[in-house]
Amino acid sequence: MAYIQAADVGLTFRPANREAVPALRGLSLEVARGEFLSLVGPSGCGKSTFLNILLGLLRPDAGEVRIGGRPIAGPASDRAMVFQEFGLLPWRTVLANVELGLELKGVPPAERHARAMDLVGLVGLRGFERHYPHELSGGMKQRVGLARALATDPDVLLMDEPFAALDAQTRDQMQAELLQIWGQSKKTVIFVTHSIEEAAYLSDRVIVVSARPGRTKDVIPVRLPRPRDYEMRLSPEFNELRLRIWKALKEELAVTRVGDVPAA
Amino acid sequence: MSPRRRLARRRRLLVGCLSVAAFLAAWEIAFSTVIRWDPFFITKPSLIAAAFREQILGGKLWHDMAVSAWAFTWGLSLAVLVGIPLGAVMGWRRRVEYALDPLLTALYASPLIALAPLLIITIGVGITAKALLVFLLAVFPFVFNTCAGVRGTDPLLISVVRGFGGRERDLYLKVILPGVVPYVVAGARLAIGRALIGILVGEFYASSEGIGFAISRFGDTYRLPEMFVGILVLMVAAVGLTEVIRKVEALVAPWRLGQQER
Repeated sequence: MAYIQAADVGLTFRPANREAVPALRGLSLEVARGEFLSLVGPSGCGKSTFLNILLGLLRPDAGEVRIGGRPIAGPASDRAMVFQEFGLLPWRTVLANVELGLELKGVPPAERHARAMDLVGLVGLRGFERHYPHELSGGMKQRVGLARALATDPDVLLMDEPFAALDAQTRDQMQAELLQIWGQSKKTVIFVTHSIEEAAYLSDRVIVVSARPGRTKDVIPVRLPRPRDYEMRLSPEFNELRLRIWKALKEELAVTRVGDVPAA
Repeated sequence: MSPRRRLARRRRLLVGCLSVAAFLAAWEIAFSTVIRWDPFFITKPSLIAAAFREQILGGKLWHDMAVSAWAFTWGLSLAVLVGIPLGAVMGWRRRVEYALDPLLTALYASPLIALAPLLIITIGVGITAKALLVFLLAVFPFVFNTCAGVRGTDPLLISVVRGFGGRERDLYLKVILPGVVPYVVAGARLAIGRALIGILVGEFYASSEGIGFAISRFGDTYRLPEMFVGILVLMVAAVGLTEVIRKVEALVAPWRLGQQER
């Protein structure tokens, strides 16, 4: 049985005094333990909403999501999110930000300090423990975000367009490091992105989500060998894969009308 | 701090002191040599310095300062104790804000000093009336800034803390509270200026002692050097309190330092 199972997940936002917005309708997917899965889809297709359901911040109003056979009841330390806009607490140093999840879990100070120091090292920020977020570059901030998510040692890493706010080179570098960390930790990763190339490069499988309300449009396996490197992106197989994802996505982009796309 | 920045800071201090000294010197020289003056209407630094010395030695100045500081402390403490919780509730509960905002905004915008005579009629001359006037002037910056701080809480940070398993209590302690601190400090800066006006006006109207009373009495009797001593004390107090606020901010919100200097 698959580790994560989402069956016909639906969620409609009903903001007060405004029209209801169906975000998801009939999204189904299965994720194996240790798999790297990407979700691509047009803007506003509900990918981020789905991640928030997995994290436990939102509850679907149709269908069901199970992790390890159990339905999601709320946030728990078997899952952690890396946010697109980093979400670092500006009044906390790098180290204190990485400690956040452990602190909320009630881990004693000495232990969480040691654990956070390890992770700061793992993401290459040794020497920056006492810096505040505003003193860091975008790439460094997201390293903190990654370290914070890894600190509680979750089984599932949820990544919501984590590298979208970074410049191209930093992005390439972060992708490579993420693959390395994932290769060592063998965590299950669910990665939301707008970038076809990023999805193809990182994933075991790519799921194309339809235009809003989002449902599973296509499941595309990535049969590229691992470990992967940058040169692989220039191979014919890689381009074929990109083309296949692009074709599935293109139809959905046509569906999304101008003016129908909410910000982010 | 880097040596270069320390040097820049020292230079800044030096130039600032020189500028003040030049102003005083120009004042002194102008009224000693250039302009024919009548000590009845105008005075100069040397005379003020002499009056200052006399008042310090006489002990009167200390007494006035203590009296004013006492009412100031009471009024400002009350403003903190009422203003911050009220602002927090307004920021957190929309409906409370809707209910209170029109009234508070009208009071904040209007010159509350106009209430001074009323306070004296109802409460009488003394520390209570003065402290209340200080409170009335100083409470609003705390209310509105705390409210804005709570309102300005980044929803992403709320999601982050909740996503890592944080409970309601964690949201207050780890997101909202630290985020509000800089707003409160900024409010305190405004409040101190207004509180000084409050103490001054309160003592003009409703007192027989204190710095404000001294200024008013010496002014009425054309003893300008003595009057300026009072004004000087207020200026020094204002600068000193602002400096204290800056130190407090560095202590409670060190993460803001770099952002502000840039």
